[in-house]
Amino acid sequence: MKQVLEGSHAVSEAVRLAKVQVMSAYPITPQTHIVEALSEYCSEGIMNARFLCVESEHSAMAAVIGASSAGVRTFTATSSQGLALMHELLHWASAARLPIVMAEVNRALAPGWNIWMDQTDSLAQRDTGWIQLYCEDGQEVLDTTIQAYRLAEIVNLPVMVVLDAFFLSHTFEPVDVPDQNLVDGFLPSFSPRIALDTSDPFAIGQMAPPNVYMEMRRDVQKAMEQVPDIFAEVEEEFFSIFGRTYGRVEKFYCDDAQVIMVVTGTAASTCRKVISDLRSQGEKVGMLKLKMFRPFPTDLIRKHLGLVQKIAVVDRNFSFGASGIFAQEIRAALCNCPGHAPVFGYIAGLGGRDVTPDTLSEIYWKTKHCDAPEDESIWVGLMD
Amino acid sequence: MAKKPKHVEKIPLFISRSHVLTETNKTGSWRFVRPIYLEKTAPCSAACPAGEDIARIEMFFNQEQYEDALKTILLENPFPSVCGRVCFHPCERVCNRAGFDEPIAIHAMERFTGDAAIRNELKPQLKNLPINGKTVCIIGAGPAGLAAGYFLSRLGYSCEIYEAQSEPGGILRWGIPQYRLPYHILAFEIERIKKCGVKITCNTPVTQDFLENAKNRYHAFFVGCGHGRSLKMNIPGEHWAVDGLEFLNRLRKGETAAPLNETAAVVGGGNTAIDVARSLVRLGTTTTLVYRRRRQDMPAFEDEVHMAVQEGVAIMELFSPVEIKEDDDGFVLFLEQMKTSSMKTDRGRARVIPTGQPVRHLRTRKIFTAIGAELLDPWLFPLQKSDETLHLSHCALTTSDPPFLFGGDLTNTIKSVTDAVASGKQAAMALDIFFKQGRHAVSNRLNACRVGSGPGLSMARYMDEKQPAESLHIVSTDNINLDYFSRAPRVEVKTIGLDKRIHSFDEIKTTLTINQAVKEARRCFNCGICNGCDNCRIFCPEIAVKLKGNERRIDLDYCKGCGICVTECPRSAMELQEER
Repeated sequence: MKQVLEGSHAVSEAVRLAKVQVMSAYPITPQTHIVEALSEYCSEGIMNARFLCVESEHSAMAAVIGASSAGVRTFTATSSQGLALMHELLHWASAARLPIVMAEVNRALAPGWNIWMDQTDSLAQRDTGWIQLYCEDGQEVLDTTIQAYRLAEIVNLPVMVVLDAFFLSHTFEPVDVPDQNLVDGFLPSFSPRIALDTSDPFAIGQMAPPNVYMEMRRDVQKAMEQVPDIFAEVEEEFFSIFGRTYGRVEKFYCDDAQVIMVVTGTAASTCRKVISDLRSQGEKVGMLKLKMFRPFPTDLIRKHLGLVQKIAVVDRNFSFGASGIFAQEIRAALCNCPGHAPVFGYIAGLGGRDVTPDTLSEIYWKTKHCDAPEDESIWVGLMD
Repeated sequence: MAKKPKHVEKIPLFISRSHVLTETNKTGSWRFVRPIYLEKTAPCSAACPAGEDIARIEMFFNQEQYEDALKTILLENPFPSVCGRVCFHPCERVCNRAGFDEPIAIHAMERFTGDAAIRNELKPQLKNLPINGKTVCIIGAGPAGLAAGYFLSRLGYSCEIYEAQSEPGGILRWGIPQYRLPYHILAFEIERIKKCGVKITCNTPVTQDFLENAKNRYHAFFVGCGHGRSLKMNIPGEHWAVDGLEFLNRLRKGETAAPLNETAAVVGGGNTAIDVARSLVRLGTTTTLVYRRRRQDMPAFEDEVHMAVQEGVAIMELFSPVEIKEDDDGFVLFLEQMKTSSMKTDRGRARVIPTGQPVRHLRTRKIFTAIGAELLDPWLFPLQKSDETLHLSHCALTTSDPPFLFGGDLTNTIKSVTDAVASGKQAAMALDIFFKQGRHAVSNRLNACRVGSGPGLSMARYMDEKQPAESLHIVSTDNINLDYFSRAPRVEVKTIGLDKRIHSFDEIKTTLTINQAVKEARRCFNCGICNGCDNCRIFCPEIAVKLKGNERRIDLDYCKGCGICVTECPRSAMELQEER
């Protein structure tokens, strides 16, 4: 049934439909609405779940790690400083192969205090072994959260569903909230491959000496390598029931494009409009929306961007001393493709600054008119 | 139903896992401190002259074990309903809950417990020592004598009390007005003492001859005759004044007719003076209380003074009577204005001296005095300071044959009902130790039964030597893990309306309802005692706290001494000890 929901509550609805059993979270703007709704669902008996109140995000992640180890479906949500505080346990969750799903609302890190949209928080966790999925709108974030449980529980890896602060978390849109029985058909109850069991006690996560550690880490990567195929299957089945599909990346007017802009999150919506306008002016421009960041869709990047003339990457994040993180990853993916296009790295919209149609047009024209990037990173929309 | 993804088998899942029991890893070997269960003293108990185990009483309430709560009081005090009305409750002033929101209404809870026994005719069986064949003669059936009889009976002595008045109770029966202590309440609790085997003979004033003859018949004597003679003001015209204690006495006998629409002055600042003034108000008299010091120096309980003022008693402070003269329509009380000086009296109060201003006149129909009392028959208390006599905090013991004990107001610094109970208890214990172990053992043995560092003694601990003496450490608010408590308002004791108060001798305060009492008990921190909350066991990361029945013990093979149990104990009933 279609409902007008804010992005945060699209996540809450998905968690409710996924019949999560244990949740734990610590409030932080702009994430709080997600768990606020869920704690109400718990207290009102709408969900048959335990909501564990904790004193920090570190404890929240520890709590869901414990619950997930015991073989139940778990959820947490956080943002910015909260995610940074979880860092140590993010490694634990993935190496313990726990299918935890977390909603992560992209927010800038302090100081200066800033509660607005910025991708640096989630991208700083790229090496923790979590699958990362970036969403464009309320419908996608609901669908992705439900899919995330299927994916996580098959590959035994945790999934971070990422959404933009305010632009998505606090924006109301019509969202189709599926029926419970349809979701139940898509997402069976969790049957863990490993779960702590008091009737057959064993210990997990203890000492792994040099003769086994490397193999364990190789296995995490092997599971990651399975993600593209399994995600495709999950999406295919999701499509057959709900009629919606997203892909690891989405091509928009890419086939004959000479310049392709690479965009993530809500900026993709703005970019669709800009591309349509430019196309009507005869410009050969397309957009590649990057949804899955981990595992990185190297194969699709090479396929779709390997032969284009110019690539413009819009990064709402920055790795100090290097460049925008998406641009970095795309350069790395293309480096072994002979004669690949120059990658223009644009930094825009940090700390909640708007990425407007004008910003994106400026990026396009700059890319079109330069043969090669004037700099490793080009900062747009600066006010000084 | 979802189809099974074809890739699952290919996804490796290699994590560290072990089925080896961790029991082989005796983490107890890492320990250098160990937790122990060590109950401590709650500040309320330490402040209680009767040494009641208040934290445990409230715990029993919380667990809805009302009879156990009653028993716990009766172990230390035969007068819960009386003390729940007339005690000045020093326990509440030191309640740790005061540092959090408001103190527990311990006084009202004690009254509820006692009254529940009356209402439901509860007569719990207490453990008593076997009869030892010794008989004690007790002089005076006031609170001290009755308490001495109660505790001595429980220690195995036969007790016979001789009382000059027509009924037992002393100040409780004849001095405290009905609106503070109704008769049937007192009668029930005296009956309980009689049921312990105490024999009370009334209308029998003890004479010197009687005492001489009795020395052959009794193994020991307890003198608790109290202060029956009012002090004199030593001013001209004093014979016109009415003795306040005598007035209250006649009132309780039903002899005083109501002198309506009169005026009266009451001289004094103690509880008797307040009782006289408030009784006069109830008889329709416009009453002025004259006190030579300031209101805050009054020995009367502050709450009583406050209620007297509410009821319309006027207070003239810093006025000292110098003369009484007869007038056409009553009397004139001549008053000298006083002021405080920088010097202190030996009781720590500011000394007052005359200001030298002209004498004031107070015209009134009647004048009452209540400035204190002294021993009526000095030969009953011939005590001299001597090495042969043991002077204890609440009584004195001569080592003559037979031994004599003196208690109650004769020996107590604070002349309250609860201190009288303390006196009777201390005397009973002292005599028992004296007979069984000799004079030299008395002080040490009594010290071992002290409740914390307070004035009270624990009869429970005296009678059951196996019971471990709890730590003398008095729990402070800092020792309480406040995270486990949420703020809650203190129960409000209902009183009858002011209008009803000043027109009758009906009891002012009402007893809590059971719901109120249980709710109030839940507020108690239960300082220093284990109430079985199980936090120690729940939080132990090594599952080293073992529970069997209600007993918890630490499995030292696995306790690594992390101290989490001690930190998470909300009420300081555990301690960390260094391993030796």
